[in-house]
Amino acid sequence: MSRVIVRIPTPLRSYTDGADEVEVEAATVGDALQALAHRHEGLLSRVCAADGSLRPFVNIYLGADNIRDLGGLAVALPHDGAVLAIVPAVAGGAGGARERRITELKASVPEVGPREALAQQAQGAALIDVREADEIAQGSPRGAFRLGRGFLELRVEEAIPDTDRPLLIMCGGGVRSLFAAEGLQRLGYRKVASVAGGFSRWKAEGLPFETPRGLDPHARERYARHLTMPEVGEAGQRRLLDSRVLLIGAGGLGSPAALYLAAAGVGTLGIVDHDVVDRSNLQRQILHNDERIGQPKVDSARRTLQGLNPSVDIATWAERLTSANVERILEGYDVVVDGSDNFPTRYLVNDACVRLQIPCVHGSVYRFEGQVTVFWPAYPTRRGPCYRCLYPEPPPAEFAPSCADAGVLGVLPGVVGLLEAVETIKLLLGLGDPLVGRLLHYDALRARFDEYRLAANPDCALCAEGRAFPGYVDYDAFCATAA
Amino acid sequence: MATLRLPAPLRDKLISAAQTGYPDEVCGLLLGRQDADAVTVCAVHAARNVHPDRTADRFLIEAQDYLDAEYEAAASGLQVVGVWHSHPDHPPRPSATDREFAWAGWSYPIVAVNAGVATELRSWRLEGETFDEEEVLS
Repeated sequence: MSRVIVRIPTPLRSYTDGADEVEVEAATVGDALQALAHRHEGLLSRVCAADGSLRPFVNIYLGADNIRDLGGLAVALPHDGAVLAIVPAVAGGAGGARERRITELKASVPEVGPREALAQQAQGAALIDVREADEIAQGSPRGAFRLGRGFLELRVEEAIPDTDRPLLIMCGGGVRSLFAAEGLQRLGYRKVASVAGGFSRWKAEGLPFETPRGLDPHARERYARHLTMPEVGEAGQRRLLDSRVLLIGAGGLGSPAALYLAAAGVGTLGIVDHDVVDRSNLQRQILHNDERIGQPKVDSARRTLQGLNPSVDIATWAERLTSANVERILEGYDVVVDGSDNFPTRYLVNDACVRLQIPCVHGSVYRFEGQVTVFWPAYPTRRGPCYRCLYPEPPPAEFAPSCADAGVLGVLPGVVGLLEAVETIKLLLGLGDPLVGRLLHYDALRARFDEYRLAANPDCALCAEGRAFPGYVDYDAFCATAA
Repeated sequence: MATLRLPAPLRDKLISAAQTGYPDEVCGLLLGRQDADAVTVCAVHAARNVHPDRTADRFLIEAQDYLDAEYEAAASGLQVVGVWHSHPDHPPRPSATDREFAWAGWSYPIVAVNAGVATELRSWRLEGETFDEEEVLS
């Protein structure tokens, strides 16, 4: 054991009651520090890390030598009166470009702690989480606007039009949010603050958050062109994935509609078709192919759609719609796409959609012409008609030729079926103005689209206010007789 | 706001050293007295910037220079009361690096040097995890 003098640097003298040196008895440098720690609580943690090693910001000199060069804390103390000096690393500097920018930002962007941010959010401030989607999937404060950093400046105005509303910007650790906050200041937002410590600190302080369902990497890649559109984005894509659309018919109209709806990521596609694939279908029904002639159309459709997008759930009914099964099949769907080619089915679909308040996207084709509309009397924004408002009863069979009788330009159902798909996506996402109360007519020969207004019939036997549901009608027998 | 008393001749010494060392960061230690209401600088102790690779935007004081400063202070009945350094072509505000390495209880005057000419001197003290500015009087 030797008696050594330990010199205490000014920053640590608060632990030694101001003393600039302390005498201890020890055999090694490490022992000397332990003895010092024993006498002056708190000092050791400033000098040594939790594992007992010397902290990188601190050096200890034995005489003129750094003990790191002599062998570390195990170095034996040579004689009584040796001097050990604790030397703090004295360092700093303006730093590189990144650090300089951050320093400037900190001078111009106010910071608030997570608790304060939560309180301000409760008082109406908008909390904007600018982290990447994979970070947000791990958790994000409730009620936060998840606008992403990349498109923040392009999207924020739509989400938060009031430039006087206080904004709280959050990232993972409180640095990216400074850059984001500056961008928002430049856009004209007057009260922008960055949340210090970001989501890490938010979580560490036990503040509430939720774990939003995110998209997996495959979905993110597949729907990348949707995700970059603010009108769809991750929330919209999520909504499509959660949506259920029923296609009446896997024929000329159903084929293009089904393909694009599956490609778009509509989560569940139901298909009703009792028919089998016929060679004469292949001129326009692009879900099917030559090898599948004779197979049920719903099976052929399933194979094609799953090949295009395996994540879509396909539900199929290889049966004719009747008054007995129509509600059971339609129940629970968000949108019905009517691509039927006969009046009995069309009326059943219309009646069930009105009863179940499901929007029905209706399309039909005839030779060189096609038309599309949306029958949805329950549309909250505008009262439109149902099919029966326009045609209370089916026409006599001789006035209603099907494709088989009249012929159709093969590509025409492609145009009309896709317009139905577009209307469907709009309805699912709540985008734009749907064709409720409007009929879009396409004349391929004149290459013209015309729009016609469709009014609801106030005396409609089916959808007029206060009318009891009159029951389903199977017109099959009627048509069959007429034919 | 805390106060740093930095007599004009010492202040001139810092500014002159900062300009001479430009474009590198220049650093040094302040010796003085800590009173209840203010820190008074009585001498400045030059120190070598031995940062291994980035002396233009970082500084690291040679440990021996720090030790010498401690001994010089003790011999005159003073203490090391702070560290000054220059920010070449950068405002005199503490950077993240400055904060990372800062010790509580010291004054951190920073001299901004733009294109070789010292333009501003401001001083800072660590309060918790952030730097607060302190008043500099001569």
